[in-house]
Amino acid sequence: MVKKRRLPHLLRLLFVFLCMNLVWYIAYLLMNHPILPSPGAVYEAMFHLGAKDVALNVGYSLLRIFEGVLLALLIGLLIGLLMGRSPLWNRLLDPVVYLTYPIPKIALLPVVMLFFGLGETSKVLMIMLILLFQVIISVRDGVKAIPESTYDVLTSIGASAGQKFWNVTLPGALSVILSTIRISLGTAISVLFFTEIYGTEHGMGFFIMDAWLRLDYPEMYAGIMLFSLVGFVLFLLVDVLDYKFMKWRR
Amino acid sequence: MSSLRNSGLSIKALQVEYKSGQKALGQVDFTLPEHGIYTIIGPSGSGKSTLLRAVAGLLPDYEGELLFNGKSVHDQETLIGLVPQNYGLLPWKTVRDNIRVAMKITRPVGGSREAIEADITHWLQSMGIAELAGRYPLSLSGGQQQRVAIARAFAIRPAILLLDEPFSALDAITREALQQIFLDNWLTHPATALFVTHDVEEAILLGQKIVVMPSAKHDSPEILDNTAVFAMKHEKKRDSDEFFEQSKRIRKVMLAKW
Ligand SMILES: Nc1ncnc2c1ncn2[C@@H]1O[C@H](COP(=O)(O)OP(=O)(O)OP(=O)(O)O)[C@@H](O)[C@H]1O
Ligand SMILES: [Mg+2]
Repeated sequence: MVKKRRLPHLLRLLFVFLCMNLVWYIAYLLMNHPILPSPGAVYEAMFHLGAKDVALNVGYSLLRIFEGVLLALLIGLLIGLLMGRSPLWNRLLDPVVYLTYPIPKIALLPVVMLFFGLGETSKVLMIMLILLFQVIISVRDGVKAIPESTYDVLTSIGASAGQKFWNVTLPGALSVILSTIRISLGTAISVLFFTEIYGTEHGMGFFIMDAWLRLDYPEMYAGIMLFSLVGFVLFLLVDVLDYKFMKWRR
Repeated sequence: MSSLRNSGLSIKALQVEYKSGQKALGQVDFTLPEHGIYTIIGPSGSGKSTLLRAVAGLLPDYEGELLFNGKSVHDQETLIGLVPQNYGLLPWKTVRDNIRVAMKITRPVGGSREAIEADITHWLQSMGIAELAGRYPLSLSGGQQQRVAIARAFAIRPAILLLDEPFSALDAITREALQQIFLDNWLTHPATALFVTHDVEEAILLGQKIVVMPSAKHDSPEILDNTAVFAMKHEKKRDSDEFFEQSKRIRKVMLAKW
């Protein structure tokens, strides 16, 4: 059943991908200028990249994203849970979140660089900052949306706070958490690009800007394609998690 | 001392007010002997669910006393099995997982994995829903969910069993079959049980005594003795004269109190 529906979905994706390449090729023909190489040239450049080189750059980028997401999830879950379950903490923290939420986090990049230097810490911290507030707010709302009666049976048999968290609060809020990650992942990847321009010799952002400086346009485009692929794979991963943990809603 | 220790569930001068200040449950006073079963019947809004929630420890404050064998019901050692009116299943867990979670929480040590799994299978089978073990609650009918909730309540082998209209979503035939199954299971594992229903027949079939709740909150409930019917064989109850007399008596109380 699922497989039958997945095949046309894949075919459709493939079709759109081919169409985009076609548009690209037409644009290339019309422009006829080295700043826009043909798809063929870019794919050729991609295949000539050393596998080790690609793996290293992609690996660095993925690692930074994972660390940032993980940190944001840990801290966000803790604060969001506190706010969702305790009216007192919600009253205390709500103004803080309300005031800091609208600050465009990317504007904090120079501040983070000043405080934490140009190394890995500031890169991971930026990604965490972008995600954190979204996670806090969605966890809080997700936890609040769980009806109080969902806890009744566990309460009556004397379940501990930890057992209620694992069996009710976390799974109940998981769908909101997943959709938040899906939404903020795009922003996180963009920010990663910015942070990889400075202070590193690895990562997709570095790779793309390096090719650009060397005027190696096919390689630059190849880098952009690879970077997009990384984003695509991350989206797929969230989809897989969603499929695995949200079965109960279908 | 021994009379105190085996005195069962005593509800003394219980009154409940929700935050709005409005009374949800007028004065309730009765003692349910250990291993006894009483049915509770009453009009909608008379506080039947509120009474069960108070016993289950789900209400932060109430007036009066709730004792089980002389000690507070909310002692850690008194295990309470609850079948809430809304079934209380966790939607993100399969039928089997729902039961397993409750069992793991109530028997944290001892009890091998296989023993737990065998127990779950046994209870699902006795409720006639063995084939639903892998399904999620949202994909089940109301009656199926109720049966899962009952299986879960039995599976943890509670000292006190609280059932809030557990058969309300079943058709007449399934209902009768399940009443029989429930009674058989209860007779082999006689937990101290309170059974809420809005069905007069069911109240007579399943209770040693019948608590009829009043609609007015200043009134106190009327408690009818039902041992005569309860002692009969289950299949014979419906056609007996006592059953007929009892339902006439209940209807009279209902007319006066509702
Ligand atoms: N959480 C709550 N907050 C405020 N009032 C409540 C709450 N729950 C119940 N009540 C009120 O308490 C009274 C008793 O409710 P309860 O649910 O115990 O009735 P019931 O006898 O179980 O009715 P039914 O047969 O419809 O299930 C009702 O007047 C109801 O409005
Ligand atoms: Mg009720």
